[in-house]
Amino acid sequence: MLAKRWTLGLLAGLLALAPSISAQEPDTSASLTVLSWGGAYEHAQRRALFTPFTEAHDVPVAVARYNGGLAALRQAVAENNVPWDVLDMTRSDAMAACEEGLLEPLPPELVAPAPDGTPAAQDFLPGALGRCFISHSIFATVVAYRRDAFPGRRPTRIADLFDQQRFPGPRALQLTPAANLEWALLSYRVPKEALYRLLSTRRGLDLAFARLQSIDNIHWWEAGDTPVRLLEEGQVVMASGYNGRFFAAMVERDLPIEILWDGQFQEHETWAIPRGAPNAEAARDFIRFATTSERQAELARYIPYGPARRSAAMQVTTHRDSGLDMRLHIPTHPINAQGAVTKDETWYARTQERIEALFREALFHETLTTQE
Amino acid sequence: MDSLSTDSVSTRHPLAVLRFLGLVVLGGGVGGVAALAAVGFVNTVVWLNDLLLISPRGQMMAANTNLVTLATLLVPTLGGLLVGQLHRNLPESRPHTPADVIAAVQTRRGCLPAKAGALSALSGLVSLGAGASVGQYGPLVHLGATLGSLITRLLRLGRSEDNITIACGVAAAIAAAFNAPLAGIVFAHEVVLRHYALRAFAPVAAAAIVGYVLASQLLAQGALFYISEPAIPQPWEFALFLALGGLGALVAGAYIHAILAMGQLAKRLPLPTSLRPALAGALLGLTALWVPDILGMGQETLRFATLPGAYGGGELLLVLLLKLAATALCLGLGFAGGAFSPALVIGTLFGALAGTLVAELGGGQETFIFYAVCGMVAVTAPVLGAPLTTLLIVFELTGSYALTTAALASVTLASPLAAQLFGRSLFDIQLARRGLDLSAGRSRAVLQEERLTELISHDAVTLLPETPLTTAISRLSLAGRSEAYLVDDQGVYHGCVTLASLEALREGSESPTLADCPKAPRPVLDPQSSLWEAMHQLQKITGEAIAVVDEQRRFLGVAYESSIAQAFLHHSDALRREEHGAG
Repeated sequence: MLAKRWTLGLLAGLLALAPSISAQEPDTSASLTVLSWGGAYEHAQRRALFTPFTEAHDVPVAVARYNGGLAALRQAVAENNVPWDVLDMTRSDAMAACEEGLLEPLPPELVAPAPDGTPAAQDFLPGALGRCFISHSIFATVVAYRRDAFPGRRPTRIADLFDQQRFPGPRALQLTPAANLEWALLSYRVPKEALYRLLSTRRGLDLAFARLQSIDNIHWWEAGDTPVRLLEEGQVVMASGYNGRFFAAMVERDLPIEILWDGQFQEHETWAIPRGAPNAEAARDFIRFATTSERQAELARYIPYGPARRSAAMQVTTHRDSGLDMRLHIPTHPINAQGAVTKDETWYARTQERIEALFREALFHETLTTQE
Repeated sequence: MDSLSTDSVSTRHPLAVLRFLGLVVLGGGVGGVAALAAVGFVNTVVWLNDLLLISPRGQMMAANTNLVTLATLLVPTLGGLLVGQLHRNLPESRPHTPADVIAAVQTRRGCLPAKAGALSALSGLVSLGAGASVGQYGPLVHLGATLGSLITRLLRLGRSEDNITIACGVAAAIAAAFNAPLAGIVFAHEVVLRHYALRAFAPVAAAAIVGYVLASQLLAQGALFYISEPAIPQPWEFALFLALGGLGALVAGAYIHAILAMGQLAKRLPLPTSLRPALAGALLGLTALWVPDILGMGQETLRFATLPGAYGGGELLLVLLLKLAATALCLGLGFAGGAFSPALVIGTLFGALAGTLVAELGGGQETFIFYAVCGMVAVTAPVLGAPLTTLLIVFELTGSYALTTAALASVTLASPLAAQLFGRSLFDIQLARRGLDLSAGRSRAVLQEERLTELISHDAVTLLPETPLTTAISRLSLAGRSEAYLVDDQGVYHGCVTLASLEALREGSESPTLADCPKAPRPVLDPQSSLWEAMHQLQKITGEAIAVVDEQRRFLGVAYESSIAQAFLHHSDALRREEHGAG
């Protein structure tokens, strides 16, 4: 373990030296390139963040498409040819990238205090301010169900996902251990504080696998739009998925579905600056601008992601297009957040591969070696 | 007497009211300090367990199985080595436990030593951190009590205040560690103070509340078990819960005696005291390679035992027996730590075993948690000597009235049965073996602790055995005494003669000496004997005083009956004021 740390440190050191060895032409000095996720999400960011930033700072924003992971970033940094200034990535990726030395450290004073003067450290949610990332939004993997599937009753607890006697019908679940294992143990009434301690034992994992195996007729999904489609087509009556996608289907397409907030699996979405970003100064300006309470609250008027700072969550109002009260649809709203599970990123960072292998072996009898 | 005290209550001085309020505030302060210490302790243990690859979480995150195996073997062993060295700096080479707290309060001695307290807490931390199969609540209780006692001494307050702040520290530690303020208050009264005076109740309650509030902000551990909308057990199941209580008492007895027997066995080991914990650690680590569930405090094991289906019946029995043996080994061979957390685990495993059997015989699986919890209280209540506390822990952690009633059924049989068969608690049995018998209550304990030394008087007529009778009679008459003590020129005591018997002798014979005089049948006392013993001897005699002699029967003085009676009244009065005072 020590040896690994040491090599990482060395790697980080070498990477830090790299830009000074071969000075790169800052050919994009007047513009900012943001790596983001596309779709409705990017559209919301454009309206709430990018356009207002260009108006205020006179810096045009270009958006590059991102699909998660660190491979492209790793390669770009290694080749000393980083095309992006700002990265929009999940906190687990940001943590890993930070440890690998792929990100610029961010000064703690970068983010502005809350409008009422509360220091940022108290205004942001715990764990939101990292050494080289700043969480801006909280999204959740949740279970949604068809409103017309169970006449006379509706699921209220995550345990109902596994209760096919009271809530009959096929389910759709994401083909990952994350969220599924946690939900399975929650269904045994394990308190959420104890989840990862129990999942660290063979006994706990076996209990979780047994619960998942007990479900009759599971559709395993991988792409984020699949669960919405399966619900829409009536192939399943309950499905896990991202809360933003379910919201869009409910609001924009009037799909008769409802979100079960109990057990919602929260993850952070963060801003970060890659090491060797061509326009780091403008990137810092942008992050400071985008993480103000006002901008965070504005973003939540386009897409139901919870602002990472409390002062912004207080200001969330209605959906810009439909006029719906957005507070009821964001994962961090007190009513929705009661049964929330926060992903233990450090646990997953160390165990992901082994847990994944055990998950596949238990549920699909695959003894495959994970490819990476 | 009664009317006097009523008067003094109705005309209570405002200063006395302020003093009492001050005591309540002091209780809250002690509670805060003790709770912070408890929270720090609990978090440090968790951190150490993760770091040293003892906890499942630490092991899972380490990935390297060889490293985990090595840690399982080495960490408890090295931890034991360190604990052994720490204990060399303690009197009697043993860590202090709640039993010492109980002894200090029951004998009104108070004054828990700071150094022994700090070293015991440290060795408890090392023991738990290194994965020994011991509990954390014992060290927490002792730490809280020591802090309470220390604060009283820093403020130069009296013995009664010392006893109360000790109880405050205890209550806060339990309230903080369990997130259960009521259990903390009742534990302090039921186990430590053993009385329910209003004067003690208010400060103890303040301490428990402060401890609870602080801990609920700072400790992020889930409840020990969760129950939401539990099934209601069938009426006939209450008979089973009662029976479970009876069997649980036997399990508790086996557990207590295994710990004590291992302690006796340890003394016969050809191994220095300081190396014994390391031996226990090595054996524990070796067994844990096979059954990892026995390692450490066992919080994961406890939680699994409350989930139906997590263990098979055979597994439950195996883990139960191994956990019992492992805890006896660790505590008997000198690891520092409590007996409560392992008792929780053993009891819950026992209850789960019963629940599994019932389910297999056709009972409902929905009431499984009831059996687990009933087993838990049936074993822990006798070990702790605290039926009310364990019931309240169940109530405060689950908020379920149905579950608490079921637990009550078990405790009803378990506690008295175990008390009849084995003793009031593990602590009381340990103290009795050290010579402090608490079975007759606190007044006896106080008198047993009080030494005779201070009552010895030298104001007595001592005569050589050769003294002529007439001289003796005139000496006694001059001194105005009716008894004389015969002491030879070596200082050796030869007995006691009364004026009456001397007079009788003078009538009978000519020129006799004292040696011929019949001695009054009179017991003697050792200067180290207790006030309790002196009171006991007094009942056998009629006379002025009892001679005090050392082991060589050298005369040291006498203890007058009146001064013994006075001392007895003084202590009874102090106890009465402490236990029945309203403020």
